[in-house]
Amino acid sequence: MDDPPTAPGGPAGARTRALLIAAFTIATCGLIYELLAGTIASYLLGDSVTQFSTIIGVYLFAMGIGSYLSRYVHRDLVARFIEIEILVGLIGGLSSPVLFFAFGSISAFRVVLYAWVLATGVLVGLEIPFLLRILKDQFPLRDLVSTVLSLDYLGALAASLLFPLWLVPRVGLMRSSFVFGVLNLVVAVWMCHVFRREHGRPRLTVQAWAALALLLAGAVYADDLMERSERQLYADPVILSRTSPYQRIVLTQANGDVRLFLNGNLQFSSRDEYRYHEALVHPGLAAVAAPRQVLVLGGGDGLAVREILKDNRVEQITLVDLDPLVTDLFAAHDALAALNDHALRSPRVRVVNADAFVWLEEHAERYDFIVVDFPDPSNYSLGKLYTTTFYRRLAAHLDAGGAMAIQSTSPLAAREAFWCIVETVRAVGLHAAPYHAAIPSFGEWGFVLASSEPLRAADRYPAALRYLTPDIARSLFDFPSDMAPVPVEVNRLNNQILVQYHTDGWSRYAR
Amino acid sequence: MEPLRALIRGRLLSRRDLLRLGPFAAGALGLGCRPGAPAPAARAPGGGRISGSIVGASHRIGHRLRDGGFPEPQQTREVPVVIVGGGMAGLSAGWKLAGSGMHDFVLLELEAQPGGNARWGENAVSAYPWGAHYVPVPGAEATAVRELLDEMGMVREHGPDGEPIYDARHLCHAPQERLFFHGQWRDEISARALLDAGDTGAVAALAAFDGQVRRYSDYRDARGRRAFALPRAASTTDAEIVALDRLSMRDYFDRAGWSSERLRWYVDYCCRDDYGCTLDTTSAWAGWHYFCSRPAGAEYLTWPEGNGRIVRHYMARLAEQVRTGMLVYRLRPALDAAGAPAPDGGVEVDALDTTSDTAVRFRARHVVYALPRFTARRVIENYPPAGAPSEEFTYCPWMVANLTVDRLPDGAAWDNVLYDSPSVGYVVATHQDLRTTPGASVLTYYLPLTPPNPEVARAWMLERSWDDWVALIFADLIQAHPEIESLVSNVDVMLWGHAMIRPVPGFLWGAARRAERRHGAIRFAHSDMSGLSLFEEAQYHGVRAAEELLRALGHPHASSLPPAADT
Ligand SMILES: Cc1cc2nc3c(=O)[nH]c(=O)nc-3n(C[C@H](O)[C@H](O)[C@H](O)COP(=O)(O)OP(=O)(O)OC[C@H]3O[C@@H](n4cnc5c(N)ncnc54)[C@H](O)[C@@H]3O)c2cc1C
Repeated sequence: MDDPPTAPGGPAGARTRALLIAAFTIATCGLIYELLAGTIASYLLGDSVTQFSTIIGVYLFAMGIGSYLSRYVHRDLVARFIEIEILVGLIGGLSSPVLFFAFGSISAFRVVLYAWVLATGVLVGLEIPFLLRILKDQFPLRDLVSTVLSLDYLGALAASLLFPLWLVPRVGLMRSSFVFGVLNLVVAVWMCHVFRREHGRPRLTVQAWAALALLLAGAVYADDLMERSERQLYADPVILSRTSPYQRIVLTQANGDVRLFLNGNLQFSSRDEYRYHEALVHPGLAAVAAPRQVLVLGGGDGLAVREILKDNRVEQITLVDLDPLVTDLFAAHDALAALNDHALRSPRVRVVNADAFVWLEEHAERYDFIVVDFPDPSNYSLGKLYTTTFYRRLAAHLDAGGAMAIQSTSPLAAREAFWCIVETVRAVGLHAAPYHAAIPSFGEWGFVLASSEPLRAADRYPAALRYLTPDIARSLFDFPSDMAPVPVEVNRLNNQILVQYHTDGWSRYAR
Repeated sequence: MEPLRALIRGRLLSRRDLLRLGPFAAGALGLGCRPGAPAPAARAPGGGRISGSIVGASHRIGHRLRDGGFPEPQQTREVPVVIVGGGMAGLSAGWKLAGSGMHDFVLLELEAQPGGNARWGENAVSAYPWGAHYVPVPGAEATAVRELLDEMGMVREHGPDGEPIYDARHLCHAPQERLFFHGQWRDEISARALLDAGDTGAVAALAAFDGQVRRYSDYRDARGRRAFALPRAASTTDAEIVALDRLSMRDYFDRAGWSSERLRWYVDYCCRDDYGCTLDTTSAWAGWHYFCSRPAGAEYLTWPEGNGRIVRHYMARLAEQVRTGMLVYRLRPALDAAGAPAPDGGVEVDALDTTSDTAVRFRARHVVYALPRFTARRVIENYPPAGAPSEEFTYCPWMVANLTVDRLPDGAAWDNVLYDSPSVGYVVATHQDLRTTPGASVLTYYLPLTPPNPEVARAWMLERSWDDWVALIFADLIQAHPEIESLVSNVDVMLWGHAMIRPVPGFLWGAARRAERRHGAIRFAHSDMSGLSLFEEAQYHGVRAAEELLRALGHPHASSLPPAADT
């Protein structure tokens, strides 16, 4: 096509308009369904490159089948076209719920995923040739092809803009598929009306309305469905789930045990989290002579803050956590705030939502005690928070006589990773005192106390602890031989060896 | 992708080839031509969603040099020293002068932004390089580089042996690199990563190659000089090593009997990456220099704006001397009132102020000429002098594109290379960012145009439209990143006509070495002088010219250069 497409000439009646609008909707919705399938598959299975490329491949292939099959349809083109529009709307509109529910079994999920993509592709592939054939008497071929294809591209453009900018962040994966199914069906209903003489089948209209009603109900109850589908991913009933720009936050509850999952990873179980948080906070905090200013990095659930508040010597706690959704939930949601004794609303606590590395660079305050409670170094982004560069920066925020306590993964499951953190702390000239505690829902867990001067173990802890006493705490600094030191390299920004140790350790342990 | 593979082999793509890339790139996301429907010839990338343009049209200004017709200067400024060219060489010369307390000079740069091949850009997401983007941790001979990096605050401390320990913040973070090979990413760009353990010929070739790398790296001549040093001037002049310059890297491989396809690909990639030349057009001396001039596993320093960070450091010291937007079009001996060459041997430097389109004349006692060497013929009157050796400096053109992406492709390393691609991959501008949350980024994509005749490649390059480039980039990257088109929101393209001097066989120890270092009061300083397009070389020649000049002026200074250099 060398010439620029001309504006559609010929009769611009309601029918032509309806068909062209249909072309536009098909293009938009078809692409959205495909992007949805790719996103859901990446979300559930990971490895987005593979997911997107196979889905795209199957989809293109299916469209080819569709256009090929179109030659076998000779009569009732308009009715067929509307039927297909209804089917695309139904299949596409139901794609998110079907895929989410199919995830119960991974092998079944793959089958359903590709069957679904194949079906959508075949139907969309049928539609364009139909449309061209229906319209061919109204336009010269050249204008027709260029008009339909332009609309097709415009639809694709609309979809590719809508999807990342509005649908995923605002509407959510579940509701998006319903919304676009509804759009398909509104067009179908409208076409039933416009072409009522051509198709002459009242049943078609009823079918279109019924499908529309189904999807509208789905759109209204999308959140419920999402939660319901998510329940299968977790052992216990899901009581709350939210998506922030940073992560998916899911809370489950069973028999009084509340569990927090971030992106599917367990963060705590309310049954034994006190062991973790007492062990994280008190051995270090009690050993500092005058802990007035305390900094907590990560730990937006406020549980470490709750422990720190038990120490009356502490005047102010600054909590720096990336995700405002997490800190807001744990400050304001009744059940969650109850877990941390409403710590985040204490006048002694200041909450900052920022990226820890950047925040430390931009601020100069010094602290008597610092708690470092980041997720495990399971990838390069998180691994940066366990490097010499990070600890050096952190040390610059530590007051003379201060200390910091660092959550350091499991010395039993990932022994090299644990000792790597210890050695990395030592490499920046700090004293490191490693210790560990048993937390049933996590297993054997490790921590590192770091300070510029060697610390003396404290002989007094706050009252009202459920797990630690000075004597028990002392025993935690002994390592049995299955967790004893191993030779390791220091973790630096330019080697990130810790990520390797962590992955190796945990994958061996999980096997 | 057949057309792309042809580009690697040095065949330029026809209009038809490019059109074949268009729908390919477009069709990949199902956005473009649907099977069964008549395919449109080509489609706007990303359905028209992707913005961008070809930026930096200085070749047009450059053409003015050829066409002439400049206004006559209306005013003359007296100044002891003029540096022409504000790339790394010119700026390094200025740095040495200013650092020695000699501030009375001007530096004239054509572009609005100084830096030459180390220029950078910036958008709402990140700063990003337009060309040079890293500096390897300097070895002992690269004294001036060490001095500079120390001054820039890149050294955290000095070890017990006095060796600098660089700040890990600025050393390239892990993961540094990865290579897309047969549908999978390998986490190393090396011949080893490609090795098929079952192919005994390849295993033997690699062992022999590695052995040779070790031998050349350990080589020391009677004066203790290395076979291949950085700066180049510190290398040995032993005939055995120098003779390598007469062979191409391919000749060397053929003679050694190393036929492993993958090993050849790897070495070819290295030559394209550093020199914009292929196995055929790189001299074996230059090829081995790449592998043997730096310690094995040497790390490198990098910044979001690439070597633009160094430009910024220089500019903080030279803000008063640097004048941008100045097209230097003529250098000639200054005349006295009687029309005879002035007794002090001064030089007239005529430049066009491109913002006001008026000409200015500088009358200088000394000039540092830091423009690419091929311009000398047009800029310096009566140059080269009769009887001087011919100056055959040829250049490889490069296309560099900066792609703004909403998020990084999964698992992105700093340097991401695709096997069997005409490009040398892309680097990630936000790689050194310390934030833990992934976000938008800028990918800098590099494509050397390596056909044997660079004139043809240059003409071809200048004729391509923005759409052609975007289609080509997507067609290349899509094999590794099927989702690439949906990630990209903007593509800006820079066309470097004379990007890199080509170390073709015979050039480095022939024309490059014979070329005059000095022409009267004009001292040449540009990485072209060494024949290797590297920051270390540009800086070396800038500093060398500055020190010669300080000596001529009798200005006290300490040398920044290695003592053993063969100047
Ligand atoms: C795409 C690309 C990537 C590279 N990557 C790296 C890398 O990662 N690491 C590395 O070490 N090297 C790299 N290089 C090599 C780079 O060329 C050198 O590092 C170095 O920047 C060269 O500096 P120079 O001063 O010798 O030359 P140039 O950068 O060529 O400087 C010449 C200057 O003269 C100006 N000029 C030209 N004509 C006139 C005129 N008539 N009047 C006034 N001014 C004029 C130009 O605008 C320019 O600023 C890369 C090069 C390219 C092209």
